[in-house]
Amino acid sequence: MSLAIAGMGWVTPLGSGIDPVWERLLQGDEAQAEKITEQFSNQYYSVFRVPESALTGSPRHPRLRRASMISRFAAAAGLEALQAAGVKLDSQSAERMALVFAISNGGVIYTKRFYRDIVEGGAQSASPLLFPETVFNAPASHLAAILGITGATYTLVGDSAAGLLAIRMAEDLMTNEALDYCLVVGAEEVDWLLCDAYRRWRLLRLAPPVEPFGRIDRGMILSEGAGAILLRRDGPIIIEGTHAGGNYRKRAEAEELMKRILRDLSEPKLILLSRAQTAHLSIRRKAGCYSKLSPMHSSIRQSQLLVRALALPDCGRSF
Amino acid sequence: MVESTSANAKKFTARVAVVAAGVVSPLGFGLSETLDSLREARDCVNRVTRFSVAQCRCKTAGQVPAERLLDKQCNRVRARRLHRASHMIIYALGEALTQEPQFKPELTVIGTTSGGMSYGEDYYRSLKQGGNLRHSPTWIANYPAQKPVIDALEAFGIAAPCEVVSNACASGTNAIGHGFDCVRSGRYQRVLTGGYDALSELVFVGFDSLQASTPEKCRPFDRHRAGMVLGEGAAVLALENFNAARARGTTVLAEITGYGISTDNFHLTQPDPSGIGPRRAMERTLQSAHTSADAVDYINAHGTATPFNDTAEGKAISELFDRVPVSSTKSMMGHSLGAAGAVEAVICLLALQHQFLPPNINFRAPDEDIHLNIVANKAQPALVSTVLSNSFGFGGTNASILMRKFDA
Repeated sequence: MSLAIAGMGWVTPLGSGIDPVWERLLQGDEAQAEKITEQFSNQYYSVFRVPESALTGSPRHPRLRRASMISRFAAAAGLEALQAAGVKLDSQSAERMALVFAISNGGVIYTKRFYRDIVEGGAQSASPLLFPETVFNAPASHLAAILGITGATYTLVGDSAAGLLAIRMAEDLMTNEALDYCLVVGAEEVDWLLCDAYRRWRLLRLAPPVEPFGRIDRGMILSEGAGAILLRRDGPIIIEGTHAGGNYRKRAEAEELMKRILRDLSEPKLILLSRAQTAHLSIRRKAGCYSKLSPMHSSIRQSQLLVRALALPDCGRSF
Repeated sequence: MVESTSANAKKFTARVAVVAAGVVSPLGFGLSETLDSLREARDCVNRVTRFSVAQCRCKTAGQVPAERLLDKQCNRVRARRLHRASHMIIYALGEALTQEPQFKPELTVIGTTSGGMSYGEDYYRSLKQGGNLRHSPTWIANYPAQKPVIDALEAFGIAAPCEVVSNACASGTNAIGHGFDCVRSGRYQRVLTGGYDALSELVFVGFDSLQASTPEKCRPFDRHRAGMVLGEGAAVLALENFNAARARGTTVLAEITGYGISTDNFHLTQPDPSGIGPRRAMERTLQSAHTSADAVDYINAHGTATPFNDTAEGKAISELFDRVPVSSTKSMMGHSLGAAGAVEAVICLLALQHQFLPPNINFRAPDEDIHLNIVANKAQPALVSTVLSNSFGFGGTNASILMRKFDA
């Protein structure tokens, strides 16, 4: 089953809006890294944060008054995707749109703050205002309320493959003819606690540059933001197929899995892949739509889903 | 674009069989112990021992005994590093695979709300208090929500991709429902599905801070209900294309025939008091199953025993159904959040197989505003062919599934 991309939106450390951020990417701009310090020691980390200017003009809604940054990012990206597609929801169409929301860490800032209060002051210090925001699906709930979606809403939690798995899940959902659209959103927010955890996991480097595919794997720098794509059944930019991949423990199993995936995704023009778990999709353009193809790939990448993108036909490389 | 007239129109045709199931919960380890507890209407809620509850209003929860969990693991060295959530789902999957050793899923869909949260707590507490962080890589590696699922898949050599659904307290039912849709659509032949959650301090204190949990007994739908108690557990269901399962001679335990989901945007933590969210989920489930409310013999309600939930759910049920027997088995074992929908699906399966109505214990007096036929305090023998299971969660997510007895 193929799906079409009807609209896109993103909020990134390079700003927001598909066209302006795409221009910056084409120019090779790099986001400004910000130093943050761990609360309990002098350890510092570099992160790429979404600048305040990127949220100028983002939606105002009662749900966002106390919401964490992750919900604000998602709201801005989701709304942009719907606007780009020219979609306005009413009570009937709201039931015919699904939302799949992909995260790895979710609302970590409020979760940390909520638990900090418990550790410092005991259970009686716990805030009933913060607790609901610690729940994994709080950002998805806010987004559904802001956009008025009343149909299926799923929050998908996972590793760096979660974003592509969300697109795969959307494809499964769209086999139901009750749906006209599926909005897929990926969002994350950064915090020093995440940096500390990833450092202890030996996945993080302390300062730029980021050097993907370098000879030595020096680790990543965390960043934040959101990416959104609105999917429907037909349109000029087609996701030809998705592959949910699988779990592997050994390199040999990973290579075998990769071969199977590439065999199943016939003649892809562009493939996105993500590891940890693996999940893949291939994208092609219909005539005359190339300019919109690459932003799609980058929007997912910038959405903190840590997607690796490869341009084929060099599809024989292993990972 | 394909046009459709109904909000629940599906082009799905395949029948979906449940071919195996496994469960661990405060009610017991495995289907047999769970069945005994249900028949005997055991109250499996007791005082919390895993962390201090001295400052909480609520002091109790349904808990899975830790020592029994570890006893069930064959590799105890590796097992000590795993989160107790991993132990629970490994046990549940092991029980299911004992029934169906040849079951090779193409997809895994599992619900949870908090993953390995208590390891996140250990990590933060040690960091803040300058404690020993020697175990921090283990805590961090076992904290993510997908890790217990991957542990369970690895334990049994399953390489299928896993989708971890976190739709708050509806997660388990959403996971089963999505797995059901995947098989019903014909895109998959076999899907492993279910849910898990382990008790954690953060979540326990969170519900206590909302005053959603009760210092008293959990009394769903009772006039004097004062809130929920938490629980924990894990359950899995092996779903397979019905024709494929029959062709290979597998025992079909039951069929799942319908699934409905709705989102009400009323409030992050409270249901719309009109009951519109639950009502839509149940209506869509009946439409999905091409059946009517009259066909339903028993409803396993979400029934948290909070004033808001039970009023909204009771209203929705009484508007759709005519005196169908209803119980909330959370009264016996607490609310296991992401596991609840899966554990309760297994309870529905047992009700279909053994022809009885699971009890709603601690029930003393009906609420004047809730007009339900409660299965009060004792299990009852009954002819049960079709059952509905409800789960509703924070964020306004509502989900229901319909299961049907299969007679070979």
